[in-house]
Amino acid sequence: MTSIRRFLVVVLLATITLINFLATLHGYRTSMAEADKLFDTKLADVAAVLAAASIDETDAGRSPLMEHGNIVFQVWFGDELLLSSAGAPDHPIAPLRPGFADENFGGYRWRSFSRHEAAGNRWVQVAERADLRFALAEKVILESVLPIILGLPLVGLLIWLIVGRGLYPLRNLANEMSAKRSDDLSPVSEDRPPQELARLIHSINGLLRRLESAFDREKRFAADAAHELRTPISVLKVQVHNILRDSADDNVQLRNLEAAVERMERSVEQVLTLYRTAPEQFAASFVQLDLAGLARQVIADLYPQLDARQQTIELVGDTATMQGDTFALQTLLSNLLENASKYSGTGGSIKVSVERRPGVTALTVEDSGPGIPADQREKVLERFVRGDGRHNDSGVVGSGIGLAIVKHVVDIHHAEIALHDANFATGLAVTVLFPDLEKPDMKTVRRELGSA
Amino acid sequence: MLLSSVILVLREVLEAALLFSLLMALSRRLTISCRWVFLSLGIGLLGAAIYGFNIDIVSEQFEGVGQELINAFLQIAIYLALSVIAGLSLAHRQGRKAPPLLITVLMTLCVALAIVREGSEIMIYLSGFLAVENLRIPVLAGCAIGAAIGVSVGAVFYFLLLNLETGTARMAGAVLLLLVAAGMASQATLLLIQADWLPAQYPLWDSTWLVSEQSVTGQLLYALVGYEATPTALQVGAYVGSMLLLGAIAWCMSEIVRRRAQMPAHGGAG
Repeated sequence: MTSIRRFLVVVLLATITLINFLATLHGYRTSMAEADKLFDTKLADVAAVLAAASIDETDAGRSPLMEHGNIVFQVWFGDELLLSSAGAPDHPIAPLRPGFADENFGGYRWRSFSRHEAAGNRWVQVAERADLRFALAEKVILESVLPIILGLPLVGLLIWLIVGRGLYPLRNLANEMSAKRSDDLSPVSEDRPPQELARLIHSINGLLRRLESAFDREKRFAADAAHELRTPISVLKVQVHNILRDSADDNVQLRNLEAAVERMERSVEQVLTLYRTAPEQFAASFVQLDLAGLARQVIADLYPQLDARQQTIELVGDTATMQGDTFALQTLLSNLLENASKYSGTGGSIKVSVERRPGVTALTVEDSGPGIPADQREKVLERFVRGDGRHNDSGVVGSGIGLAIVKHVVDIHHAEIALHDANFATGLAVTVLFPDLEKPDMKTVRRELGSA
Repeated sequence: MLLSSVILVLREVLEAALLFSLLMALSRRLTISCRWVFLSLGIGLLGAAIYGFNIDIVSEQFEGVGQELINAFLQIAIYLALSVIAGLSLAHRQGRKAPPLLITVLMTLCVALAIVREGSEIMIYLSGFLAVENLRIPVLAGCAIGAAIGVSVGAVFYFLLLNLETGTARMAGAVLLLLVAAGMASQATLLLIQADWLPAQYPLWDSTWLVSEQSVTGQLLYALVGYEATPTALQVGAYVGSMLLLGAIAWCMSEIVRRRAQMPAHGGAG
């Protein structure tokens, strides 16, 4: 995860440090060179003062004068030492040549200056300890370098704060977006946004408007479809019922037709109820429910149908409370049970298990049908997850839609689905694992919104 | 004192910082978590402190060349780790899943060893001068400037590598990895020459007139490509040879990863 703030702070601080310190180093070097020149001038001045003093042959053999600061000097008349300071060597400080030189004596390195006075044939030599003048110069220059070094942490802190302040509008926008309710598609406030964000806010508002009109269209379509489909199906149902009533003998084909129409009616109701609502709105309508109780109720509703096919059904499991949507889970259960009943055939067995495990509620529906070979399960599951039917050649109306609905309900509950062998001699077991959900939080809603 | 402190610290910090940035950028490119960075910093600093405090004992080993030998060993270890990292990331780029744990461990090792090596040098330098009262401030100021410049160059370098186009970044990363690794091998050779384990030779050339080793540019080049103004034939040989060897090791590693990646696929089909 990259952070704009971290990037800006690090790169800005690094750039400032680089430029500042390289400039400081440059300043240090030129200042040191300037200080060197200054010390040289001072040395030449001392030599000039000594040359102007009336020192002549009569001064020869005088005891060395007291040491003056870091400077030593000698006054030579020919090769006779007229005067010297304490600390000066007993030989000439430097070769008797006018100008500056670097010499070693007394265990130190010295910077020397020699001056020849033609009038009295005298040589004046002055020298200063190189290490001391270097240290003195460095000390002076460091006074100006240290604040730059010590100020760097402050610069870093200020950059951190300033960049944070600069990114404030972006954080505000993010907060505003995440504080929106799942069904709130109203535009983001465009109250004097910064130039850089104006385009983004404009695009987001455009997207929200398009999303809102798409949702409206979808809702209108669902309502219209409900109206348009319910009436002809009801008419169809009544007509089939009337024909059945009027026909003298028991017409098997008409009975099948009636069952199919009933199935279609149920499927249409399920589709309309489940798809008319956006997934994130389902999350908001989740309630605490008992999955085992719900299963019992669905089994009771389906019992006449199972009984007609002489199928036995068993429910295993105690109370299993979880967060979910009652209608959606009822639909899931009835679809899975109808599927199991369909494949178990006459006299088959079905087992429904509801189990609380740490963090999940597991629902398993097993049938005693032919099952699916292990190597094909993955393929079937893929089709299943994609919302295709398990067997589209079953000839039973609504099986494809039934599995698509199962998939939709699984998605709404962020659950997972798996296929494995049933505990019967043959058969398929479908397990749905519902993770424990806290009260639907903004993160879930945003994810749902993203996928919508 | 300030300038010489800057040069010494810059040389050490820059070398570690560039290696650090290069591996961190590589880590990001390979989508491996950068948490190893903290571990390597911790291990490195601890190792540098232990090494620095015991430098007297270390130096006495191997007839007085213990420090050179250990440093050479550290450089060679970093070089080898870099070679394997190069191989694994090569395999990764060819779409084969290289083991991220192994890459993480090697990167941690590389950076930790580099910090041990460079950090101990700085410690030895500092402990020598900090005892002298009037040198304390210039030395510390120099160290601060040198370290800050080194770290800053590393940071800029890291973001530069991250912001390059994927293709360019791959090429730049591979070339830099090769150069840094070859620099490590060349330095190890120099240390072994100093320890008399390899014969001393006359320098092949002297390019001080072009880029002095003591200049900031010289330090940057030293850290980046192992620049030496007066290299011997052995060093140049080690430099070129290590590049070829790294190529060979990288190729072998990517082959091993490729074969391993193919094995389960065959097993599944059979």
